[in-house]
Amino acid sequence: MAAKSGNSKVGSVMVVGAGIAGIQASLDLAESGFYVHLVDASPSIGGLMPQLDKTFPTNDCSMCIVSPKLVDAGRHLNINIISNTEVDFVEGEVGNFTAHLVNHPRFIDPVKCTGCGVCKQHCPVTAVNEFNEGLDRRAATYIKYPQAVPLAYAIDRETCIGCGLCEKLCLAKAVVYAEEERRSTLEVGAIILAPGNEVFDPTAFDTYSYAHHPNVVTSLEFERILSASGPYQGHLMRPYDREEPKSVAWLQCVGSRDINHCDNGYCSAVCCMYAIKEAVIAKEHSHEPLDTAIFFMDMRTYGKDFEKYYERAREEHGVRFIRSRVHTVDPVEEGRLKIIYTDEEGKSLEEEFDMVVLSSGFQPSKRTVELAERLGIELNEHNFAETSSFEPVKTSREGIFVCGAFRDPKDIPISVMEASAAAAAAAAPLVESRFTLTKTKELPAERLVAGEEPRVGVFVCNCGINIGGYADVPAVRDYARNLPNVVHVEDNLFTCSQDTQEKIREVIKEKDINRVVVASCSPRTHEPMFQETIREAGLNKYLFEMANIRDQDTWVHQNDPQGATQKAKDLVRSAVAKAALLDPLEQTVLGLNKVALVVGGGVAGMVAALSLADQGFPVHLVEKTGELGGNALKLRKTWKGEDIGSYVKDLVARVQSHEHITLHTNTQVVANTGFVGNFDTILEKVDDPEQKTTVQHGVSIVATGGKESRPTEYLYGEDDRVLTALELDSRLKEDGNGFKNVNRAVFIQCVGSREPERPYCSKICCTHSIESALQLKELNPDMNVYILYRDIRTYGFREELYKKARAKGIIFIRYSLERKPQVSNGSGSLQVQVYDPILGRDLVIPADALVLASAVLPNEAKEVVRALKVNQNAEGFFLEAHMKLRPVDFGSDGLFLCGLAHYPKSIDEAIAQAQAAAARAATVLAKDVITLGAVKAVVEPDKCAVCLTCVRTCPFGVPYIGEDGYAVIDPAGCHGCGACVAECPGKAISLQHFTDKQLIAKTEALLLKEIGEAAAGK
Amino acid sequence: MVVAERKPIEEILDMIKEFDKVLLTGCKGCVTVCNAGGEKEVGILASALKIARKKEGREIEIDEITLERQCDPEYIDQLEDPISKNNYDAVLSMACSVGPQYIAKRFDTVLVYPMLNTSFIGGSLEHGVWAEFCQACGSCAIHNFGGLCPIARCAKSLMNGPCGGSSGGKCEISPETDCVWHLIYERMSRLGQLDKLGNVVMFKDWTTSRDGGPRKIVREDLKQ
Amino acid sequence: MRLNYPTNIRIINVPCTGRVDILHLLKAIEDGADGVYVVGCLEGDCHYLTGNLKARKRVNYVKKLLEEMGIEPGRVEIYNLSAAQGPRFAEIAREFTARIKELGPTPVRAGGKAKEKAA
Repeated sequence: MAAKSGNSKVGSVMVVGAGIAGIQASLDLAESGFYVHLVDASPSIGGLMPQLDKTFPTNDCSMCIVSPKLVDAGRHLNINIISNTEVDFVEGEVGNFTAHLVNHPRFIDPVKCTGCGVCKQHCPVTAVNEFNEGLDRRAATYIKYPQAVPLAYAIDRETCIGCGLCEKLCLAKAVVYAEEERRSTLEVGAIILAPGNEVFDPTAFDTYSYAHHPNVVTSLEFERILSASGPYQGHLMRPYDREEPKSVAWLQCVGSRDINHCDNGYCSAVCCMYAIKEAVIAKEHSHEPLDTAIFFMDMRTYGKDFEKYYERAREEHGVRFIRSRVHTVDPVEEGRLKIIYTDEEGKSLEEEFDMVVLSSGFQPSKRTVELAERLGIELNEHNFAETSSFEPVKTSREGIFVCGAFRDPKDIPISVMEASAAAAAAAAPLVESRFTLTKTKELPAERLVAGEEPRVGVFVCNCGINIGGYADVPAVRDYARNLPNVVHVEDNLFTCSQDTQEKIREVIKEKDINRVVVASCSPRTHEPMFQETIREAGLNKYLFEMANIRDQDTWVHQNDPQGATQKAKDLVRSAVAKAALLDPLEQTVLGLNKVALVVGGGVAGMVAALSLADQGFPVHLVEKTGELGGNALKLRKTWKGEDIGSYVKDLVARVQSHEHITLHTNTQVVANTGFVGNFDTILEKVDDPEQKTTVQHGVSIVATGGKESRPTEYLYGEDDRVLTALELDSRLKEDGNGFKNVNRAVFIQCVGSREPERPYCSKICCTHSIESALQLKELNPDMNVYILYRDIRTYGFREELYKKARAKGIIFIRYSLERKPQVSNGSGSLQVQVYDPILGRDLVIPADALVLASAVLPNEAKEVVRALKVNQNAEGFFLEAHMKLRPVDFGSDGLFLCGLAHYPKSIDEAIAQAQAAAARAATVLAKDVITLGAVKAVVEPDKCAVCLTCVRTCPFGVPYIGEDGYAVIDPAGCHGCGACVAECPGKAISLQHFTDKQLIAKTEALLLKEIGEAAAGK
Repeated sequence: MVVAERKPIEEILDMIKEFDKVLLTGCKGCVTVCNAGGEKEVGILASALKIARKKEGREIEIDEITLERQCDPEYIDQLEDPISKNNYDAVLSMACSVGPQYIAKRFDTVLVYPMLNTSFIGGSLEHGVWAEFCQACGSCAIHNFGGLCPIARCAKSLMNGPCGGSSGGKCEISPETDCVWHLIYERMSRLGQLDKLGNVVMFKDWTTSRDGGPRKIVREDLKQ
Repeated sequence: MRLNYPTNIRIINVPCTGRVDILHLLKAIEDGADGVYVVGCLEGDCHYLTGNLKARKRVNYVKKLLEEMGIEPGRVEIYNLSAAQGPRFAEIAREFTARIKELGPTPVRAGGKAKEKAA
């Protein structure tokens, strides 16, 4: 790496914590020109996500969606994963930090370790398996889970007896017993903290029997029980007797919203949803009908599609929801547990269950708190990183940023979003040093092989004893020698080892090999590496084919060596058959326009535009109205009390004066063509459609915003005393004194939200109403303020506000959808009638002011939807590429979204999301070219019957019938799935690298067994 | 386009049961577009027939070729080479029934078999669904019917309104089939032409259709 | 996970089950495979949105075609599972192998052998 020169800033970033947030921040930074050191105390990256079974609200398998990210990070040339390491302290300042690290020994060299697992198999010691939350045991020599990155074992010296067996057995010579703790330093320009949280340990709740009853488990333990890779292989069993439970109860708010047993007064924000998910999935896993009951205080399903998930759980899956507070869980006979609880009316009730899950909350670990102290960053009263709503990912120390659950408890998508935001924030001060420390591969020119006869080299790997111990590798090697087109064969102890790689490169040159087959572990982990090797030897990387003789052969046929050997031969024969037909493929390289288009001039749009402009990228900011600021112009302050007015004023001024921002007010987007990197968009003046401009840009960010709905009930529009939340804000902004004479104010929540016609929670209204109610109380402390609600959803630290409101005497009355409040103004005064479930009777509240928490709607943005071809959900919010892990990307490359157009959200979240969209956009704009993968559908014009089949079957709408009279598939848009290829009736389309010829040759070769054997003289 | 579909495998197997080597010909025209006889379907049928014959213990050799069109003699000429070089027992055509006839005409001594049933003149409603729209009557009058053809699309080819079997917009032959007269009525009412329906359409002169015997079109200006 | 399953399973990888052509399945049968199955992502979870749904339709088409030829349609199948369901993968391999054992060797090969014997 280049040495630091003079005062210039260091072009690298240290990311501390390699959970999903740390990984996302690292990927975004590495993709936009910064070298990343990703530091984690654990032997492998991934954090909490690999431990989860499914994720809400899509029920995606957690491991499936996270493992590609693990692999991306593990393989990235510009991400240096530093495992088993903690940060001691940091000196210096933004641009030039020196981080002092403590590298704990792993006792196995991750560079030498091939992940073969022989050490684990022979390790005589067993230890508690933390990955499975202690529900089973593992060896002292271990890897957390099979997909772990780096794929290298570690020795747990706490339990290791030092027998030396693994060292003797390790053919890669990777075991280093003598390894000691080391200290090292890193020079970095910025630091991102993403240490995550720990799950609250409910041992202290002795009334819940957790510590002494096996059938009382934490939610994370239950995730492992449900997981196919967990201790029970995904069979729903209770730990006590490994019987399938017939009933399971979830107790919410364990270690959250609780200042009696612990100091965690906040809401952990995710437990309601994960409990519902666990209940639904448990029902799916169960063979017999399973009774599930969730004991809760407020059901907080406030995120995108959460409310629908809750509804479905209740209506379709029959999950029971019991509004209550549980005081005791008592063991009864046969491992069963009795729950004693108080219902809403104050009655004490009890019910028995086979199993009880404690929905544990989250808190920063002691280690994280100590780290924060050593780094000198401020924490809030709950030991989370203190941040401002307007700079949500910035800590109190300049140059150190924060994202994920350490900022406040949150779910995966918001963590991912914040991670990208932190990447954008960390990049901003280092812009001048972009690409100063990143590495690129220097490669020799590619050898032309077109027209040459195929000359195939076959390398058969023993993988230590992983393959060689079961299949007869020399026999496979000798068999390969006689296959057509094969000019070289050899077998290696580890084909992936550094020295073998070097040997392969030499042999390719020496024997003029032009196609390479490696028979070894799995393309999932090793294909890119071998492709790189042959590319270094001057061969196009697509001239490589792999035979999977470990994962798909010796590992799964250990009890049948003969069968395994025969299968290995078949797989090699098949790979050689395809190899002979492989073509070198060219990856299209396109130039790109390093300009962004941002649609929408509200806070989200402005923040996104500024974030990119501050990084030096020109931005076109398009706003439909004549004024910047959007909804924020109407807001007073954040729930923490920060003044929104002055923030927005400052933001607008910065946008207007920024040299890189071109502002287009009173303008809308009407048409868009092109693909990522090269878009043309036509803008049109709203009041003069004749006035059109075309802008060329490489990415688009959609931030078209939302609006407050107009209520259609509770006398809104008929009586002046009935206001919406924003109208109240405006009045308070103008002159709060008008409210000094108000004696009774009533707030009604969920007006137009969580209703059958609008089945989502507007997320911000509970906090907003409570904040407004407190403001009224401040103006007139004698005012009687009532909040009529369905569930109070003050997630995260907003719970403090709820607590404060109750302390100030604001009265909360719950109502249900079936018995909504009635409002009348018969006798001149407003009368609000509501049924109080605690008192069990109707109340009539006379009110001087009635505030309706009306729903947040997305702006229509019809032109944007049409022009950019982006999708919306049923409620009109934009649909991201992936609900969990691509929260600000659209399905089409180069398009991003943020703000209320995505879903209702608070201003801090909108700002973080806007920064995230900017970070994602920067991963495109920072590069000079766009390199497209070569596995694309290609049309043979001669054969095309212009039948439209491809146009109709492409899931991404890429093919079109071109002016020349045949189908055109733009490689920049093609995802390479091959759906059109399989359907084309004229066989005019082929998928590169997976052509019919290649696939059929592979099949034929596989099934030629008898002939093959006959040829070999058997 | 001409819409066709593949004959049942069983029928085809029976046709070719005596043969050991055949040439299977596809067509890049209409039958490619309607997924009945393009290169892909040729490949599928060839493979299916080989499977069936392997199963019977009498393997069959099948060569595949897909012509630009089988309704032009020049393209049929392209079969000359494979047919003369191979001793095919028969030639199988996956074109509409024009194809096998052209092949038969061109190759006097070769047995030719149709692999498709030519179904109708029609179009695609959506991917994978085709419907009949024209009966080639030879004297188009659909402008009288709001642009919809009652000859092809009414089960009875009625010219003066629906029969008593029209119910809820559907034809009595099947609830899947629209009553075209219902559609005609709706469209003409949208066009403000309902009054035109009062005119009695006189019985049709069918001489331009099949009733006048096989038809031929001659363009003197083009004829060489 | 290294879960054992019978050695008679051979895997051909494709980028998406949407790439699997009717012809590919037929070719496998034609070349003498006793059975062939497609393993795709869970329905609704296709990385390319609908590839696995298209594959299912094609598998059903091939089943029908085989039935017409008097070959058991059960020799062709499609399964959906996620990357985390290793045990399910092994289970499917065993399940399908058991099914094929029940059906016996492919009549496509048996037919050929019958002929050899006759000759």
